[in-house]
Amino acid sequence: MFLYRLLLTILFLSETLLNGSLAYAESLSLPDSGGLTYDRYAASGPDLLLWVASERGLSEAEIQAAKRLAQGGTEVWQVDLASSYFLPLLPSSMDAVPTQDARRWLKAAMNTGKQVRVLAISRAVRPVLRAMSELTAGERSQLCVALLYPNLYASADPLDEPAYLELGKLEGGQILLLQPRRSAATPWLPALMQVLQNSGVGLQSVMLEKLREGYWVRDDATAFEIEEGKRLDAMLQQQFQSWACGK
Amino acid sequence: MGMWKMKHLGLIVGAMLLVPGAQGFAAGFQAREPVPAPALVARDLSNVEKSLSDYRGRVLLVNFWATWCPPCRQEMPSMEKLRQKMAGQPLVILGVASGETLADVNAFLPSMKLEFPILLDPESLNTRRWKVFALPTSFLLDAEGRVRYSLSGAIEWDTGEVQTLIEKLLNDVPHFAR
Repeated sequence: MFLYRLLLTILFLSETLLNGSLAYAESLSLPDSGGLTYDRYAASGPDLLLWVASERGLSEAEIQAAKRLAQGGTEVWQVDLASSYFLPLLPSSMDAVPTQDARRWLKAAMNTGKQVRVLAISRAVRPVLRAMSELTAGERSQLCVALLYPNLYASADPLDEPAYLELGKLEGGQILLLQPRRSAATPWLPALMQVLQNSGVGLQSVMLEKLREGYWVRDDATAFEIEEGKRLDAMLQQQFQSWACGK
Repeated sequence: MGMWKMKHLGLIVGAMLLVPGAQGFAAGFQAREPVPAPALVARDLSNVEKSLSDYRGRVLLVNFWATWCPPCRQEMPSMEKLRQKMAGQPLVILGVASGETLADVNAFLPSMKLEFPILLDPESLNTRRWKVFALPTSFLLDAEGRVRYSLSGAIEWDTGEVQTLIEKLLNDVPHFAR
C-alpha cells in the first residue's frame, strides 16, 4: 500500500512539474533593459504569453490567471510596467516606457522559439505597439497580439473629434481587439479599428458581453463580472484558440 | 480607502491635470464658446421621437449616462433633486441612455425614482454625434440651443454652485420673469 501511494505521488509530481502545475514566479530583468522586470511562470508547452498589465497595475486575479495558464502548459511572462519603472498609476505613464526595452522583451520572447502571444491592457498597449513598429514585418507576423480595451487616444474632449496616437507602421502585425460591451469606448470601436487598420495590421475584434473595463478588479463588480474575473485565463485561451493567428 | 479607490483618485486627479488648456469653472464645468448643439434625435420610453427643437426656448441639461455606470447612477438622485428645486422654471433635464435599450433602462428605473425624461440611444448615434468619450458627460444648453458648458464626470447637481450657473442661463431666457 505504501509503495503504491509512493508511486502515485511520484507520478503526480512528475506530471505537475512537467505541466507547470506548481507554477511559481521567477522575477527576471533583461540585460541592458534599463528597468523592465517581469515575472516568469515557466511551462513546457509550445506557447508563450506575454501579459502586459494596464497602467493601473497588476491585480491578484491576473497573477492567478497566469499561474493557471502555466499549469495548463502555456508559459507566461507577466509585466507591470508602472511598478517596473516606478511610474504613477496613470495612462500617461505608459507613454514614458522606453520602446527599446519593450522591443528587447518581445525579441527575447521570440528567441525562445515558442509561439508568442501578447495580451496588453488599456494604455499599456502603447509601449507594445511602439515596440512592434520597430520590428520587421516578418518578425511582427510571428506575434499574435490581443489588445484588451486599448486606450489609444491622444485627446478625447466632448464635442471635439478624437485624436489618436501615432502608431507607426505595423504591417504584418496581427491584432485581436477585445472590447467589453459596457464601456464608453464601445461606440468608438469602429473609429479605433480604422486607426489600427491604417497602420497596416490584420485586425479582428470580439465584443465581451455584459462586462466592463477592468471587470476582474472592480469594487462594484456584478456577480457575472466576478465569475468572469475568475476565469480570465480560460477567456484568453478561448479567444486565442478561436483566432486563426499563428496557425 | 482601498487600493482600487486610491488608484481611481490618482487617475481622476491625473486626468484633470492632463487636460490641455483646462480652466477651472464651477463644479468642474468647462465654459464653451456658444455654438449650436449637435442634433439630438432619440425616442423616449414611450417610443415617441424627440429632438432638441422640442425643448427650444428652455435651458437644457443633457446628461449622457448608462445603467452599468456607477458614477452615472450616483449622480442621478441629485439631478432629480435639482429638477424639483427648479420646478416651474424653464429648465429641462434630459437623460440620454448611451448604448442602451428600452429593456436595459426599464430594468433599471424601478431602483430610482426619476421624473425627468429619459431618451434612448441604443446604437449610440447621438453619443458619437456629441463626441462623448466618457460617462457620465453632461452639457448645459441655453434657450437658443447653444452649448454653453460641458462636464465629464459625476457631480452633485443640487448644490448652490450648479444652481447659480443654471440661473445665469435662465436669466437670459426671453420673457422669463424671475
